[in-house]
Order: sequence, then structure tokens, then C-alpha cells
Amino acid sequence: MRSLRDRLLGVVVLALLVALWQIVANLKLVSPVYLPGPDRAFTALVHGLAASDLGAKLMGTIEHMIEGWLLASIAGIALGALIGASSQARAFIAPTLEFLRPLPASAIIPVAIAVFGLSPAMALGVIAFGAIWPMLLATIHGFAAVEPRLYEVAAALRLSRPAVIFKIALPSALPDILAGLRLGLTVALILAVVCEMIAGLNGLGNWVLLSARMFRSADLFAGVILLGAVGFVGALALNIAERRLLAWRAP
Amino acid sequence: MTAETATKELGAARLAGADARRGGAGRDALIEFAGVSLAFAGKTVLDKIDLSIAKGEIVCIVGPSGCGKTTALRLASGLLAPSAGAIAFNGAPLQGPRRDVAIVFQDYGKALLPWRTAAGNVSLALEAAGTPRKARPQRIGALLAKVGLPNHADKYPSQMSGGMQQRLQIARCLAQEPIALMMDEPFGALDAMTRQELQDELLDIAAASGATIFFVTHDLEEAIYLGDRVIGLLPHPGRVGIELKIDLPRPRDQVATREAAQFLRLRRELYDFIKSAER
Repeated sequence: MRSLRDRLLGVVVLALLVALWQIVANLKLVSPVYLPGPDRAFTALVHGLAASDLGAKLMGTIEHMIEGWLLASIAGIALGALIGASSQARAFIAPTLEFLRPLPASAIIPVAIAVFGLSPAMALGVIAFGAIWPMLLATIHGFAAVEPRLYEVAAALRLSRPAVIFKIALPSALPDILAGLRLGLTVALILAVVCEMIAGLNGLGNWVLLSARMFRSADLFAGVILLGAVGFVGALALNIAERRLLAWRAP
Repeated sequence: MTAETATKELGAARLAGADARRGGAGRDALIEFAGVSLAFAGKTVLDKIDLSIAKGEIVCIVGPSGCGKTTALRLASGLLAPSAGAIAFNGAPLQGPRRDVAIVFQDYGKALLPWRTAAGNVSLALEAAGTPRKARPQRIGALLAKVGLPNHADKYPSQMSGGMQQRLQIARCLAQEPIALMMDEPFGALDAMTRQELQDELLDIAAASGATIFFVTHDLEEAIYLGDRVIGLLPHPGRVGIELKIDLPRPRDQVATREAAQFLRLRRELYDFIKSAER
């Protein structure tokens, strides 16, 4: 748990950066066409949310991110559990994973477009494909790293196979899985924006791209600020979940 | 069990248990090894072990490292199957771990679920046995009280000392309502005071429940103090080298028993055996 002082310092640093941004904009060190000050960006943000469809774009991005992330999480944890629980499966599947994992998710966008067209299904597929890796690899690692003694305890108690998975392996792998969930959420946000830009789906990616093309830099920055906020709130929510779920790790 | 009242309550049961125990090898065998051998990767770990443990008996296994005493315990608990020979439990062939046989591991820190509280860890055994949800809290409370942890139900293992963690593991094992306890150097990692406390609590539990105990230790005095019988193994390959019947009166006492002439004589005999075995 961070102290109040650290938190205050964090806010101060952020405020200083915003002030610096305002000074640079006011001095016109960068042309106002490209760089609005925080004042103009904030006005554009409020106006966009109140009078334009920025709110709908925000919801679109959140929806794309969460749907892809959930699909990736469910598939990643289930597959990871299957692979991680068996050393044989790990040996068989590891080479394939090593080949697929470093593949940039953006590289499969053309493939996904060919298969799904410029549709929400394409975005869902690409986001899920990109976000599944941290989850999958973390879950495999978590399941493979379960203390062997606990499996003996389970054998001595004659726990059923599902009970071993849900009462021993899954909770034991939970710290790894949560780390994977967090990384996966970041990837999901990035890919949601990329898909919105490329496929013209309703979302902040699309808003940012169009604003840039029309030299509406204040609108562009309003979108970027919202994207930052989405990432921040997502990480915060996972932090809170982690603190609750892993309370037993506190000394 | 540290409370005096509990000890008093157990007094009668302890005497009854001790009487029953006197019968020794003549009574019904609970666990029987007949020519049991075990080989790992071509290396013989245990060679033709014959061993009979009577119901209610406390048998301690000692021996130099590498003699296969932990392996013998794993065979007796069904975690391992012999390469040759047969193991019978209650007259029937032993086919893997049994719910009425509880195993107390030495590394209590690894044998507990760190994400569950003390109550949750005890609950695991009850869940495995299919105890109804409603009946669990009361049983858990009684078991934690029995091992001297009545006020620690909500603590996580990481918040407990080594002695408390081992007590907790014993509580989980008792939740299995075992007829036999398999204990693999359970007190080896604890400080001397805690070890003696737990030895006496174990004897109280054994007397009250009549459970058979198979106890592996490297501490010769502990073996004599606890056991009805002490079996010394020889290494390379592991085989029975000595068998001592311990006729020290029960209940045993940390001071008086350890000062008894017979205790010292047995200790000398066992010590000489270990010395010669290591040579």
C-alpha cells in the first residue's frame, strides 16, 4: 500500500507536466494546428462528450476492449490450464506457441479482414488473438509451478480431479493469471484502437484518426486523454481485484 | 490440547490406549509389509522389508540418511507402490492413498494451502470427505481447539510460526478421522521446546483416538520417547537392521521418561546401531 505522501507526489508530477504542456502551447513552440494547450483539449473533451458523439466512441472502445479481453481471458486460462497441467501437453505444444507468440497481432489484421470482413467480428478476433498470449503463457506457467507437495496432499485426501484443479491448481496459479490479465488488458486496448482505425469501427481510434486528418488537434487530444483514462481505470480495477484476491500474500 | 483440562479428560483414554497397545505384535496387524522391495532407476532403495504394525501401535523408524525411511512411509501410505512384495492394509492389499490414513509431511510450509486461512485448510479435508457445508464450521472449530489453535482460525499460514503451521497440518490430518497417521519427520524443523510440546500432544491424540502411528524421525530420543517399537534401517540398500521393543510406562513424561535407566539403555543401543550402520 503506497503512502499518502507518495500519492500526493504522483499528482504533483502530473500537474507539473500539464503545466509544462500549457506553457509550451502558450509560447507556440509547436504550431497550435498540431498542439493545442490542455485548456483547448479539455474544452474539446467536454464539448465532445456533451454535444458530439465522443461518449459513444468511448463506449465503443471500452466495449471492443472488454469483449476481446474477456474472450482472450476465458480461452487463455482454459487452454493454459489444460496445457499447464500436463507436462506431456507442454512438450507437444510449446514449439507451436513459441512460433505464434512473437507474431505481432497487427500482422494478422489482413488475415482477419479476409476472413471476417471489416466487421466487429474481425476486431474481436484480432484483439482476442493478441491479448490471449500473456494470459495463456502466465496460466501455463502458474499451473506448471504448483508445489508438488500439494498434489501429494490432494492424493492423500483423495480429492477429485475437478477439486484438484479448482481448489489447488487454479488458486495456486492465480498470482500468475492476474499478472497475465493485466498485461492482456493493455494489449486489448491497443488492438481495439488499431482495429477501429483500420476498419473504421465506432470507437476512439476512429475518432482520433478522423480528427487528425481534419487537423482538429483539440479533438484529437481529447480522444487521447480518454484513451489514457480508459487504460488507467482498467489497471486500477485490476489492482483492486488483485489486492482482494491475493490478500493472503500480505506479510 | 495444551490446556490442563483437556489433558485430564484424556487421561482415562490414554491409559486405555496404552493398555491396548501393550498387546504389541500379537494383535491384529493394520499394516503388513511382506518382502517389500522398491527400486528407482535400477537402484534398490528398499530390499525385502518384512514389517508388521499392529492396530493402535506407535512404530518409529530411524536410520542414517539414505536408508529409505521416508520411502518406507510413502509405501505404507500408498503414495508409492512396491516393485516387489506386497503391502496389506487391514488384511486387504493397499491400493493407493486412503482417506482414513493421514499423512503429516515434514515441510508443513509446502503442505498447507497458503491462500486459505487455518479454518480453510482444515476445511479442505472435510470438503474432500464430503462433509456437509453446514457441519463444517463446528468440526473445524473443534479440530483447531484440539491442536491448540482455537484463536487462529482466520490467520493465513504465512502469519503463523512453524510450530503453529505444523499443528495446523495435524488438525487437517485429524479431520480425516484417520485410523493411521503417517508422520515423516514432522517435528524435525521445530525448536526443541515446541518439539517436546508437540510430542506430548501427539501421544495424547494417539491415546484418545487409538490411532496407529508410523513415525519417521532422525532423532533417536524422539523415537524411543514416542514409540512402542523402534525399527532401525540399514542403508544401501535399505533393510531392517534392528528392532527394539519399548516397554517404558505410559503416559510418558519429558523429564522422568528421559531419565529412566531403561530409556538410557535403549538410547545407547540405538546410538551404537546408527554408528555401526553409518560405517
